Amino acid sequence: MWPRDGRIRVVGRLHGRRGDGGRDWQLLLVRRSSTREQLRYGARVEGDRFESEVPVADLAAYDPAGIEQWDLHFTDGEVKLRAGRQLDDIRGKKNIMVFPAQRVPAARGTLTVQPYYTVQDNLSLECRV
Amino acid sequence: MTSGITIRYLLLHAYGRGGTIRTVMNQANSLVAAGWDVELVSVLRRRDTVQFPLDPRVTVSTLVDLRESAQEPPRGLLARLRDRRRARQLEEPAREIPRGEFGYRYFNRHVEDAVIAYVASLRDGVLVTTRPALNFLAARHATGGVVRVAQEHMNHGTHRADVQRRIVECYPRFDAVAVLTERDRQDYQQLLPGTRVIRIPNAVHSLDQIPSRHDSKIAVAAGRLFPQKGFDLLIPAWARLVEKYPDWQLRIYGSGEKKAELRALIEEHHLYNHVFLMGHTDRLDDELAKASFYVLSSRFEGLPMVMIEAMSHALPVVAFDCPTGPADVLTHGVDGLLVPPEDTVALADAMGRLMADQELRAEMGTAALLTAASYGPDSVHPRWEALFTELHETRHHDGAAKGLHV
Repeated sequence: MWPRDGRIRVVGRLHGRRGDGGRDWQLLLVRRSSTREQLRYGARVEGDRFESEVPVADLAAYDPAGIEQWDLHFTDGEVKLRAGRQLDDIRGKKNIMVFPAQRVPAARGTLTVQPYYTVQDNLSLECRV
Repeated sequence: MTSGITIRYLLLHAYGRGGTIRTVMNQANSLVAAGWDVELVSVLRRRDTVQFPLDPRVTVSTLVDLRESAQEPPRGLLARLRDRRRARQLEEPAREIPRGEFGYRYFNRHVEDAVIAYVASLRDGVLVTTRPALNFLAARHATGGVVRVAQEHMNHGTHRADVQRRIVECYPRFDAVAVLTERDRQDYQQLLPGTRVIRIPNAVHSLDQIPSRHDSKIAVAAGRLFPQKGFDLLIPAWARLVEKYPDWQLRIYGSGEKKAELRALIEEHHLYNHVFLMGHTDRLDDELAKASFYVLSSRFEGLPMVMIEAMSHALPVVAFDCPTGPADVLTHGVDGLLVPPEDTVALADAMGRLMADQELRAEMGTAALLTAASYGPDSVHPRWEALFTELHETRHHDGAAKGLHV
């Protein structure tokens, strides 16, 4: 995870699925409070390596009521894979692998966007005004 | 097996998690297993339970219990008066502790009086005091016949000037002053001619550890998140390596008051994917076994025990050559790499050497394991037994001789 310069870059590996099956992969953000609201970004996939990025300002259009979460997935239109970090030995990433917050202007003030690991070691974004 | 001599260790806070506490408990466990009577006396108590493994035959008592549960509302006039006096004395500064003692803030008139009353009551056995403030009080007040041993867990140069002055005044009254490193032994002997200064290193809790395979891309550091440990130097050093070694992780174990500052430093250097503040762990042994080398970035030390524990897992070490400890333990180029203190470029270069070369890690790791062996409980603890036995016999022999002359 590279949250810097107004973007959040996500780099990782696909597991249980090859990325070179001729399909277009996308990074998919799903708003947790209203899962029909989704953001999609093209992903570069080579072998099992994927890479994509989210401009933080895109999230400013969605006015959070208090604190909101967006869950990160990768999808090729057929399967939807939750982004996370499961294959290492570190438990409780939420308090160990902590990422910086970035700030963007929003309708109701400044929006703070911070990637984080959930208690299941999945990746999400937290947005708060 | 013994002559029934009681060994009493006086600790500032036996319920804490510091290195001194851990070490004293290792000593107590070994002594009690060898048949000695051992008591731990905690000046303060802020927790319910002891934080390290302790043999149940070792008794633990407290002089001043600061837990809220221990504060009963006073009943009756006398109790109220006593309570008021206690409250007043808790606010008053200690009289005999120099301000430069790093534990000064834990002392006040009430605590000081409790320590004085306790040490003055001792008539026999051996009293081991474990930090300068307690050593000073024992030197002046433990005069009832007990054999006295002062332990120094920090190197001499670390103490402030007022503490150093008091050391010269007070320590000659001890039967023995025990220090951790050879360099410190020389320093203290020069300051205290005629006083018995003995070097006994701390022991690791076990030598029976899972060795590292040196194939992971993990470096470990551990210690309180506090300026002394120099993690604020280690993080920028790692920043110099991250481009060349992007697969490597640095895991820093420990908790402490500088966590937010260190987190900010990690963000500033964009190391949030590589450097992790792991927090406190009860299973450091397991974490060390997974690593490929250990880093010590301290500004100063007494004798860094976690470093030696890491070596007992066959981990090579990269360390600042700070006072004191690393140079006492490590042989540069054999079981680790010593670099000039606080030199982050040199620290990065040395870490880079180990990251680049698994064979070098394995070779130095094997040497580190051999070095660690001389810090095993079986090598170290008999030296305490010998010292206590000898001091006690000397005292009794002298006493008998004096008796004849009366």
